[in-house]
Order: sequence, then structure tokens, then C-alpha cells
Amino acid sequence: MVTLRLRVGRGVFIVPPLVVVLLVLIGPVILLSLYSLNLRTNIPFAPTGLSYDNWQDFLRGPGNPFRNRFVYSMEFTLVVSIATTVAAYPLAYYLAFHARRFRYTLLLLLIVPFFTSYLLRVVAWSDVMLNENGVVNQVLWAIGVQPRGVGVGWLLYSNFSIFLVLFYSWIPFVALPIFAVLENMDRSLIEAARDLGAGPLGAFARVTFPLSLPGVISAFVFVLIPTTGEFITPLYVGGPYNQLFGNEIQAFFGNSPNWNYGAVLAISLIAVVLVLTLLFGRFLNTDLREGVATA
Amino acid sequence: MPRPGIDRRTFLAGTAGVFGLGIGGIGLLEACGSTSSVASVSPSPRPPLAQEPGALSILEWGGYEAGGTKAQTSGLQAGTTYTTKYGANGITYTYITNDDQALQKATSAGPFDLMHPCNENTKDYVDRGLVQPWDTSLLPSFSQLNPGLVKAGQVNGKQYMIPWDWGYGSLLYRTDKIDAADATGWELAWNSKYSGKISLWNGASTNFEIAALKLGFPHMDNLSSDQLSQAKAALIQQKPLNKLYWDSEYNQEQPNFQSGTVWVTYAWQDSLVSMTQAGLKAAFLDPSQGRLSWFCGFMLGAKTQNYYHAHEYVESFINHDACAQMTNLFYYGTSNTTVQPSEIKDQTLAAALDLGNPQAITSGKNHLQSWAPNRSALELAWQEVTAS
Repeated sequence: MVTLRLRVGRGVFIVPPLVVVLLVLIGPVILLSLYSLNLRTNIPFAPTGLSYDNWQDFLRGPGNPFRNRFVYSMEFTLVVSIATTVAAYPLAYYLAFHARRFRYTLLLLLIVPFFTSYLLRVVAWSDVMLNENGVVNQVLWAIGVQPRGVGVGWLLYSNFSIFLVLFYSWIPFVALPIFAVLENMDRSLIEAARDLGAGPLGAFARVTFPLSLPGVISAFVFVLIPTTGEFITPLYVGGPYNQLFGNEIQAFFGNSPNWNYGAVLAISLIAVVLVLTLLFGRFLNTDLREGVATA
Repeated sequence: MPRPGIDRRTFLAGTAGVFGLGIGGIGLLEACGSTSSVASVSPSPRPPLAQEPGALSILEWGGYEAGGTKAQTSGLQAGTTYTTKYGANGITYTYITNDDQALQKATSAGPFDLMHPCNENTKDYVDRGLVQPWDTSLLPSFSQLNPGLVKAGQVNGKQYMIPWDWGYGSLLYRTDKIDAADATGWELAWNSKYSGKISLWNGASTNFEIAALKLGFPHMDNLSSDQLSQAKAALIQQKPLNKLYWDSEYNQEQPNFQSGTVWVTYAWQDSLVSMTQAGLKAAFLDPSQGRLSWFCGFMLGAKTQNYYHAHEYVESFINHDACAQMTNLFYYGTSNTTVQPSEIKDQTLAAALDLGNPQAITSGKNHLQSWAPNRSALELAWQEVTAS
């Protein structure tokens, strides 16, 4: 009887979140699948019926622009993820090893801009910082790098502007897991390496960095997965050739409504994110206790 | 000894049960955004105005909010008589940035009490069962409206659209940056001399109309498959010259033109007014192939519970004073024929835009944007242009 009560009790706790997950996560994915197979349509009275045409067009259509955009987006996402992770490492290292008692204050300062809306920050980059009369061009004019009145063409509505805004947006989130790993690292291991004759770089390369890899990989995944579906930043600071795959999906559900084709793109993206999650999931552990760390 | 907690079998069984619940939940999700259920016009008797909820839900373009609402910042005073009488707090606006998106939102994001689409989509709204006919006897100013536009707002003899505003679409350009010799036709958007300083609208049908006019196709809204392919190729050819495809008139098109980021942009005539008022040397292109023209109006939601409120709201927009103020603000034409040309402040601009001519949008070289039978193909083609 006691066992039964415990079993039912714990089960009850799992059911509500499971229901929510199924309703708001799995349910829409199933709906999307129905749209992608033309079993439903967003246009009232339009005929429906099982069809793989959109899938075939996307996967096999010669020179399909959406497939090309998908490849482009994945490449761009990879560049952003690697660059952000590489740049965040020294930041996290400084906070963990050199900032001492100021480290949490500095960490807070790093996060402060993120108390405002993501959308507002993107618009601020677009309208205040990077546009023709924006802060960056004004500074370039003031120091004589650029002729007054002539803005730098690639500052806004370019790959550069998307990269810059995404880099800025992600770097605190990327620094955090690396910082957490470095902060919890057993410093005696580094001291032992130094005692055994390793120089600062050698100790870093053979001890600190390998031990921080779980945090680095977690950080990389934290950028990689959300950036694959990113559409706000390219929408506001990207030009015609810089829109990402997420923008194509968004447009298929809004500006040029064709939910059936949009669902094909969305399901494809979900599949990629799932694969990435499965690939990297085993590294999403920053607990360095003996036997727990997985990398 | 059985372990306390859930064993694998129990968990899987429970999950399967809940998964079934999830599948069932899809029905609930579908009900939230149902697209296939079409409301029929609710038969009389309707509750009187006093018993209606009164909180109007409106699908609207930015800048057109009723005077007196917090959302209204463009200076428009239309709607003030309604908000003065019934208050403004309950009115909610859902915004649209292009016609295709408007139709989609009306279909899946509603139901709305009122919508403000344009002429080319009227038939789609009716066909999809999104709207019901107006009772024009409840609109005192209806008799003052332009008969041609009123007629064009009818489907199957019923008044589905109450026309309100009309105008033109063309290229707005900086006269101090663009050679006059280059500003002769729609080909200005294809002029590589201004590469990176051009911005077309992210509006599928409009861009295909522009391409069709540039290519000399006689029926810009009824392109054959071959013509559609040619227009798509022309737009792909034009794409590298664009700085961006703008979505929002007030957040992208006008700020980018004003800052000098863009020298040539697709625009409506209100942007000409705003930009010249901002001190820019700008002109609204009169292309050799003709301008695009449009008219928009109000449609009544099929499921509205604010039938009488909606009529009062629209009356507060179509009356003489509201229309005169709208024309003097945006320099759009108005459907209310009692607004005389002499009431328009800038007579030169009014003459240039032919605002005193009730048939302006269909006269001369102007091309009235109309219903496109191959809209789906056109929208997909535009997506391919943006993705290419």
C-alpha cells in the first residue's frame, strides 16, 4: 500500500508539466506535420490531401532557394557560435581567476543590458548605433576616418550587423557556463601542474582548458541552438541577402502565407535542432565532481 | 521489494495516456486558431448597442488608430467622435504591414470586429467568410461617399467594404541625389548607379506589379505563368541593388530615407509629405508606365459582437471632418465627396496628386491594384525572390 501511494504521488507531480509540454510543444509539432503533408491548410476551403510535393521540392528541387538559405544559415550560425564562444572564454577566465572579489559585480554589469527587451536592444543597434547618422558613423566622421556625411555602407543591413548584434546578444550567456566551470574548478590541479614544471601556458593547455571543456561545449550549444531559428535580428539589421532560415519560416506564416510550405521548413529546422541536442546533450553538464563530468 | 516511485512500464503507460491527451489537445489548439471554420452572418435580432461588449478589436495599419486612443501618435483625428462618446480604453489594435499579411491575420489571428484591408483583397475576405455586409442605413455619411468606390466595395451586390482612403504607390526619391534623367520610370529601381541606396517594400503582390509594369505586361494583376517567371527574374535581378526590403513605413521606410541610408524607396504619398516637411529634397516619381493606385476601407467582422459599435466607429471615420483632416495630414484622397479641394491646405500638392478628382485612381496612367487570381503562386514566387 505504501509503495502504491508513493508511486501515485510522484506520478501526479509529473503529469501536469507533461500535459503542458505535450499541449504546447508536441501538439504544435504534430499540427505542423499535418500542414507539411497538406493534410491541413491555412486557406479556408482550399483542398487538402496527403501530398509530399512540398517536401520533395524542398529536399530535391533543383537549386531550391530555401534549401540554399538553410545551408547558408547553418554556416552563419556556426561562425557566430564559434566566434562568440572563443571571445567569451577570456572574459570568463578573467572573471573566474583574476577579478577576485569583484567577479560577481562584473558579472552583474555584463548582464545589466539584458534587463531590457531583446527587441529593444536590436532596434537600438539599428536606429541608434549603426544607421547612416548613428553613433558609429558620427564617431568615424569626428575622428576623420570617414568623410563627413558618408556612412559606412556595410555597417547596417549586412552580415556584419547581424553578426555584431548576435555576438553582443549571446556573449553573456556564453560566458556564464564557462565561468561556472572555471569557478568550480579544483585549483590544486593547476598548482600541481605548475609544481611539476608546467609553465602558465602549459598548465592552461593541459589542465585548465581540458577541464573547462564541458562549459565550453555547453556555451557553444547555448548559442548554436537558438541561433539556428533566429529571425528578429536579421529582420531588423539584415539586408536582402542576409536573411536567415528563420526569416523564411516567419514569412511563410505571415507576409507570404503558405503554411504548408512553411511547415516543411519548420519541421526541417526542428529536426536539425533535435539532432544537435542529441549530439551535444551529453556535454550539457558543468558539474565537475569526480565521475560526473562527461567530457 | 518494489522500488518507490514510477517504474519504466508505469511511466511509459502514463506517458502514452498523456500523449493521447496531447493529441486530443490538438483539437483545442486548432480551435484556438481555426482557419476552416467559417462563421455565418448571425441573424437578427442583434442585441442593442447598449448591451454590446463595446471593446472593439481592430485589424489596422499603424498610424490609423482612432483619435483619442493612446496608440494614436500620427496626428490623425478620425475616430475622435467615437472615442469621445464611448471611451478609448477598450479598443485594441492588431497591426498589419502588408496586404498578404493582413489577410492571413484576419484568417488566423481573429476574429476582429473591424478590418481595414484594401481593394485587391475584398473578394478574399468575403470568400473566406471573414466578413459580413454593412447596414449602410446606420452610417449617416454613407450617402456622401464616392459612388465609384462604394460600388467597388460591393460583392454580390452587398456592401462589404466602406471605402475610406485612396492614394498612389510609387518611388519616392531624393532629388539632390538622383539625376533627373534617371527618374523617368520604374526602371529607376533597377538602376545600378544607385546600388545599395534603393529599398523596395516587402510586399509580394506590389513588387510583382512593379516588375510587370517595368516589363510592359498589360495586366499586372493577372500574370501568366511565363510572365510571372519573367517578373520573378526581374526582381531577382533587382535584389542586389536593395539596401533592404522594408516592412514598416514608420520604423524603416521613412527613417531610412530621412537618414540618407536610402535615396530611392517604394512609398505612398504620405511619405512625400513627411519627408519634405522634414526638410529633404524629395519627389514622388511619376513613372512613364504609370503609378500604382489603391483604395482601402473598413470591413465588418463576421463574428463581431459589436455590430452597432462597429458602425458608429466607422461613421466617426467617414464623416466630412474626419476625412478632411485625414487628407490634410497624409495627403491621401478620401472617399467622402463633400471634402472640397479648397479645403486642402497645400493646393499645389493636392493638384499634383489629383486629390480633387473622384476618379483619380483609375484615370490617366494610374493602375488600380486589383484582385490577383494567382495570389498563392505570386506569394511563393516572392518568397523565392527573398530566399534566392
